[in-house]
Amino acid sequence: MSQDKKGGIKRRDFLKIIGVAGGTAAVTGGCSEPVEQLIPYVIPPEGIIPGVPNWYASTCRECPAGCGILVKNREGRAIKIEGNPNHPVNKGASCAQGQAILQGLYNPDRTRSPLLTNDLGRRQPTGWENAQKVLAAKIDEVRKKGQNGRIVFLSDNVTGAFGALIDDWMEAIGGVHISYETYAYEPLKEANKRTFGIDKIPTYNIDKAKYLLSFGADFMETWLSPTLYTKQFSEMHSFRDGSMGKFVQVEPRASMTGVNADEWVSIIPGTEGILALGIANIIVSEGFSQKGAELSSVLRDYPIDKVSEATGVPTDTIRQIAQDFSSMQPSLAIGGGTAMTGTNATETQVAVNILNYVSGNIGETIDFAHTLSISDASPFSEMLSLIDSMANGGVDILMIYNVNPVFTLPKSTGFEDAISKVPFVVSFSSFMDETTEKAKLIMPDNTTLESWGDFIPGPGIHGLIQPSMTPVFNTKSTGDVILGVTANIEDLKERYKETATFYDYLRESWKTAYSSVAGLGFDSFWNKALENGGYYSDVPPVQVSLSAGLSGAALPEAAFSGDGDYFFVAYPSYKYYDGRGANKPWLQELPDALSTGVWDSWVEIHPDTASNLGVKLGDYVVIESPRGSIETQVYPYPGTRPDTVAVMIGQGHTSYGRYAKDRGVNPVSILPLATDKLSGGFAWLSSKVKLTKTGKHAQFVQTQYTTHQHDRGIAQEVTLTEMQKGLPPVDHELPGFYPPKEYARYRWGMAIDLQKCTGCGACVTACYAENNIPFVGKELVAKRRDMAWIKIERYFEKSDNKAGFETRFLPMMCQQCGNAPCEPVCPVYATYHNPEGLNGMIYNRCVGTRYCSNNCSYSVRKFNWFQYKFPEPLNWQLNPDVTVRSMGVMEKCTFCVQRINFAKDQAKDKGRDVLDGEVQVACAQACGSDAIVFGNLKDPESKASKLSKDNRGYKVLHSLNTQSSITYLKKVKWDKA
Amino acid sequence: MSEQTSLTYARVNEDVIRMLDKPTVKWLALFVPTLGVVGFGLFCFLYQVYTGLGVAGYRHPVFWGVYITDFVFWVGIAHSGTLISAVLFLFRANFRMSIYRIAEGMTVFAVLTAGLFPIIHLGRPWFFYWLFPYPNQRELWVNFKSPLLWDVFAVSTYLTVSSVFFFVGMIPDIAAIRDKVTEKPRKILYSILSLGWKGSNWEWLHYTRAYLFFAAFATPLVLSVHSVVSWDFAMANLPGWHTTIFAPYFVAGAIFSGLGMVITLTVPIRKIFSLEDYITLDNYDGMAKLIIVTSLIVGYAYGVEFFMAWYSSNPAEWGQFYYRATGEYALFYWIMIVCNVVIPLPLWFKSVRRNIKALFIISIFINIGMWFERFNIIVISLSRGFDPASWGIYKVSWVEIGITLGSFAWFFMFFLIFIKTLPAISIAEMKEILPVPKKEAKGHE
Repeated sequence: MSQDKKGGIKRRDFLKIIGVAGGTAAVTGGCSEPVEQLIPYVIPPEGIIPGVPNWYASTCRECPAGCGILVKNREGRAIKIEGNPNHPVNKGASCAQGQAILQGLYNPDRTRSPLLTNDLGRRQPTGWENAQKVLAAKIDEVRKKGQNGRIVFLSDNVTGAFGALIDDWMEAIGGVHISYETYAYEPLKEANKRTFGIDKIPTYNIDKAKYLLSFGADFMETWLSPTLYTKQFSEMHSFRDGSMGKFVQVEPRASMTGVNADEWVSIIPGTEGILALGIANIIVSEGFSQKGAELSSVLRDYPIDKVSEATGVPTDTIRQIAQDFSSMQPSLAIGGGTAMTGTNATETQVAVNILNYVSGNIGETIDFAHTLSISDASPFSEMLSLIDSMANGGVDILMIYNVNPVFTLPKSTGFEDAISKVPFVVSFSSFMDETTEKAKLIMPDNTTLESWGDFIPGPGIHGLIQPSMTPVFNTKSTGDVILGVTANIEDLKERYKETATFYDYLRESWKTAYSSVAGLGFDSFWNKALENGGYYSDVPPVQVSLSAGLSGAALPEAAFSGDGDYFFVAYPSYKYYDGRGANKPWLQELPDALSTGVWDSWVEIHPDTASNLGVKLGDYVVIESPRGSIETQVYPYPGTRPDTVAVMIGQGHTSYGRYAKDRGVNPVSILPLATDKLSGGFAWLSSKVKLTKTGKHAQFVQTQYTTHQHDRGIAQEVTLTEMQKGLPPVDHELPGFYPPKEYARYRWGMAIDLQKCTGCGACVTACYAENNIPFVGKELVAKRRDMAWIKIERYFEKSDNKAGFETRFLPMMCQQCGNAPCEPVCPVYATYHNPEGLNGMIYNRCVGTRYCSNNCSYSVRKFNWFQYKFPEPLNWQLNPDVTVRSMGVMEKCTFCVQRINFAKDQAKDKGRDVLDGEVQVACAQACGSDAIVFGNLKDPESKASKLSKDNRGYKVLHSLNTQSSITYLKKVKWDKA
Repeated sequence: MSEQTSLTYARVNEDVIRMLDKPTVKWLALFVPTLGVVGFGLFCFLYQVYTGLGVAGYRHPVFWGVYITDFVFWVGIAHSGTLISAVLFLFRANFRMSIYRIAEGMTVFAVLTAGLFPIIHLGRPWFFYWLFPYPNQRELWVNFKSPLLWDVFAVSTYLTVSSVFFFVGMIPDIAAIRDKVTEKPRKILYSILSLGWKGSNWEWLHYTRAYLFFAAFATPLVLSVHSVVSWDFAMANLPGWHTTIFAPYFVAGAIFSGLGMVITLTVPIRKIFSLEDYITLDNYDGMAKLIIVTSLIVGYAYGVEFFMAWYSSNPAEWGQFYYRATGEYALFYWIMIVCNVVIPLPLWFKSVRRNIKALFIISIFINIGMWFERFNIIVISLSRGFDPASWGIYKVSWVEIGITLGSFAWFFMFFLIFIKTLPAISIAEMKEILPVPKKEAKGHE
C-alpha cells in the first residue's frame, strides 16, 4: 500500500489551526498536565540505537536447571527475558520464574548498598571499600586463631568459574564451602550408585519414550529441569501420525504434572517402590521382557495382590501399567516429588531403576552421559553437621550466598537458633530474606542480569552469564567482592593479582578450561560463546550396567511421625520454587494452575475429607504436626487422596520484601527432622497431621470460580480412537449477514493445541512482561480485577477414569475476531477492526463505557479501574513500545502488535513481506510445550495456517460466528487399553 | 370530571397559585435534607472521578451495575409523564387533566437524572462529549452502529421534546400566575416565562393546534426512547440480553414504573396541598387500571423469557435464566417477581384501586420491583456470560449507593422547586372539564 499523498489538510489551513491551537494552548497551558521532556541523546552511547533493542545471551539462575536466556535491552535497561533458542536445555522456551527474573532485578525491596550492623545493633549503609575491609579484618582475625574450618561459605550449587573461585578462596583462608540445594535429589543419586554404580543424576529422554510412568516426579514444575522436560513431554505426548505417547503419573496428590497425565494413579504415600517392584514382577514373571530374570528372586516378593493391598492401587491398574510399560517401547519410569521425599526414598528410586532395567530402558531413555551438576551439591548430612557446629560455636564466620536456609530448612533442624550463635554472619543476598536478617554484614550481590559468570548444569553445557545492564543499585558481584576482600588480606594480596575483576577471572578460567577447543583464537571463541549464551559440546555416551548384589535390596516401609489422620505433603512450587520466587509480584499474581489461587497459601483437601471435617472452600483450618502448626484456607481438590493433605512451599515469609512478607504459610516450618535412611537426604514427606476446623472463613482469592464448563464446549477433547478412525475435515466458515471481511496480505492468527498446553502459566507472565500489564495485588484480584490479558482456564471435567475427573487447560486471550462483538458497540471507535484482522484498541480514544467488555463473548477485556502503579524501580522494566494505560480505559491482548509492527518494519527494509516465524508474540515465544503457534493465516504455508486447518481444530463458541482468528486443537484423550 | 364538584374557575386559580406561596417550614424541612443528600451524591461522584471507577463495586465480568440500572430506572420513570400528557391527551382521556403537569415535571426531572448516569459510569467522564458527533480537527467521528450512541440521541431528543412540551403546556398558567403575583422579581420572572401570553382567541387557536402537534410529536417517543434503551442490551449477544422481546417489554415496564412513580409522588402532594378535589379517586382508578395492564405485560415477558430460554435448549441461555431464579442473586429475582407481578394483583378489585393508602403502598413496591428488574437484567446477565471461567459476582459499593441516593435526592430537589415555582396542576385544562361559570360569575375572559 502506498502512502496517501492527498487528503489531510492544506498548508494554509494547517497554519490557521496551528495559530488557534497554539493560542489556546498558551492560554490554557497553565492548568494542563505537567510537561514531560524528551531528552535526546546528543552523543549516543556506543551500540545503542534508540528504538532498537539489544539482545544479550545469558543463563538463568532461578533454579538449578540453568536454562539459556536472551535479555532484551532497550536504551540501557533490561525489559524482557526470552529463552535462548540455541541453548540445549530449554531451546528457546522459558518458564514463569525465568520471565520474572526482571522483577528480581528491579525489585523495590532490594538491598541498595552494603549494610553493616553497628555496635548498637542497627544496620547502617556503608561503602564497598569499608565493607570489604571489615570482612577482610574479620577473616584475618579468625585465621590468626589458626584453626581451619571456622569460616564457612554456604552457597547454592555453584559451578564453573565462580564455584572454582569460592573453593580456591576457602582453601586460601582455611574455610569450608558447602553447597546447599533445597532440592538436591540425594535419593536419586544414591539409588543410581546402588543400582548402576554411578553416583550421579542422569538426564532422561522423555521425548524418546512412548510410555512414561512417573512416580511423583513433577517434571513440569520443579523436578531437575522443568522447561527441558516440558518440551520433551510435549514432543512425546503430541498426536502425530496416528499415535501418541501415554503418560501415567503415580502420586498421592495430583500435581500440575499429574493432571497432565493420561491417567493419574492415586497411591498411598511411601508405597511407590512397592508398586514399581510389583509392576517389574509382572513384567518379569509373565515374560513381557527378556531382561531381569536375575531379579526374579527379589521381585517374587511382590505379587500383585499384596502390592495392590499395600499401595491402594487396583490390581487391574497395576496389570495394565505392566503391560503397557513393557509393550510400548521404549518406555521410561522416573521418580521424584512425593516418591523421593519419604524415609525410604532411595529404595523407592532403586525400585524405579529396577523397573527401567527390566524393561530395557537404561541407555535408551536414561542418559548417564548428561549427568546433572546438581549431583555435586553437598549432602544434607553436611548441613546437619554445619548446624551442629554452628550451635556449638564451631563457626566464626558464616557467609551466605544465594540460599535462604532459615526459610527453606524446617525449624526442627535448629538452623535458626544455630545461626544466631555464629559471631559474624555475612550475607551476599541482594534481598532482605530471613537468613540475611541474621547477618551482621550484608554485601548485596548483583543479580544475574547485572553480573558476569558462568553456569554448567551438566557436561556439554557451559552457560555464560553476562550483564545486560549496569547495576540498578550500589551492588557488587560477589566474585568481585571476593577478589576485593582478598586484596585486603595482607598475606593473600598477591593471590588474585592477575585478575583484578571477576570478569578477568572468568575469562582466564575459560581460557584455561577451553584452550583445546578455542585454540589460539580465544577472543573469537569467547565472543561466539557470548553470542550463543555459552559453549555447547557433545558428550560421549556412557554405558551402564546393573550392579551386582542388588538382589538383596529390601524395601522398608516409609516411616511417618505424628498421630494425625492425614499424610502431609509439602510440595515445591513451580512459581516460588523453594520460596525464592515469592518476592516477585508477577509470580504472586500468576494463578496457580490447579486452584487458580493467588498471593496466598492454601491446603488442598479431598472434597470428601472436607465435608467430613465440615469445611468448605475458604474456611480456615489448623494443620498440626508434631513440630508445630499452621493455619490456612481450605481448597477442596479432587486430585488429593482422602488421607492426604497438601500445602505448597514458598509462601509464609517473615521477611523478603513487601510482596512476600506475611503472606500465606510455610509448610516446611512444621516438618519434623527426618531423613531418607540410605541417602541422608531430607525427607519432606514424613509426617501425619491433624486438621482442626477454626470456624473462620474468608473469600478464597482465585481467578476462576467455576470448575466445570457447564456444557459450553469451551475446552473440547476427542478420543484417540476417534482420531485414529479419522476426523472429518472442518470448515470454520459460517454464513454471515454481511459479506466476509477481506484481508490483503496478513491476517494474524493462532493455533493453540490443547493437547500440549500444560497450564504452567509461562505465557501469562511473559505477557505481563511484554505488555506492561500491572499487577494489582490480592485485594483487587479478590474483586476479579486482575489485568492479565491471557489466562489459563482450568476445568475439572467429570470423567469415567479411575480418578473420576480429568483436567483441561485452555489459554484464553482476545480471539481477534473477524466479526468481533466488541467493535460495533463502541460509541467512539476506540476499538476497531484493522486491515490485518486485529481488533485494534486505541487507549487514548477510549472513554470507558465498557460496553465492549460486556459484549465480548470470551470476557477477555480488562479495565483500568484505578491508576495502577509500578513502584520505582519496577517501572524501569516497562516496554517502551507499549503504552502504559491510564485510569478509565479498556485494554486487552493486542497479539503483541508492537512486535508485528517491528517485524513489518524490518521486512519493509528488506522489501518483502514478513516471513513465517519472524514475528513471535510473547506468549507463543515463552511456551515451553509449543502449544501456542502464531502466524499469518493469509500465508497458506505458515505453521499457524496449517494447524488452523487441522481436523482437530475448533473455534471456541463457534456458534456465535465471531470468526475468531484463534483455532484451538482439541485435546486427545487416551481412551484405549 | 363528570361528577359533581365544588370547584369553580376562580377556585382553581386560587388553589393552584396558593401552592406557590412562600416556602413553608414543612417544605424547607424536605428541601434542606434533600440538598444534603445531593451534596453527598456529588461528593461520591467526585471521589470516584478522583480515585477511579474501581471504588464502585464492579467485578469482572460485570462491567455495568447500579449506575446503568439507575439510568434505565430513571428513563423508565420518565415515560409515563409523556404517556399521561401526550398519549392520553390524544385519546381524550380526561382523567389525565389533574395529574399530567406533575407527570410531565416528573418526566423532565427524571430525564435530567437519567442523563447523569451514562456520564457517571464512564471510565473517563471528563471526555463524555466524545460521544457527540461534533466536527473536530482530529477528524474523529462517532460510531453510529453503537446502541450507546443511539442512547445519546434518544435521551437528548427526549429531554428536548419533553421540556418543550412541559413548557408549552404551562404558558397560559404562567400567565395566570403573572397576573396574580405582586412582588417585582416574581412578576418579571413569570412575565418572561409567559412569553407575553394574553389569552386572546387568536392565541388560543394557535396554542391548541401547537399543543396537539407536540402531543402527536411526543407520542412516538414514548415507544422509541425506551426501545432504544432496551437495545443497549438486546443488541449485545449476551445470554439474557440478546432477545427480540426487549423493546415492548421495556416500554411496558417503563410505563408501569412511571405510573408507580406518579402515584408515589401525587399521593403526598394531594395530601399536603389538599388537592383532593383535583386529583380524584377516578384519576387513581384510571391509573391503577393501566398499572394492571402493564403489570400483566411485564409478567408475560418474564414468563416468555424463561420459556424461550428453555425451549432454545441453548445451554448459555437456559443456564442464565436458571441461574437468575436459583443462583446467588435469586433473592433479587424473586423480589422483582413479587413486586411487579404479585403485589399489583389486588388492583383487580375496585375497592383497592380507590384506596389511596393501598395504592401508595403498591406503588412503592412497584418502584422497588422495577429497579430490581433492571438490576437483574443487567447484573445477572453479565455475571454469567458464555465462558464459565470468567463468571463473577457483583457487589454494590457505598459509592454507588451514595450516588443512587443522590440521584433520588436530585430528582426530588427539582420536584420540590417545581411545586413551589410552577403550577403543578394545569389551571387552563382543569377549567376545560369544569362546568362553565354562569354569566354573572366574572373573572374569566
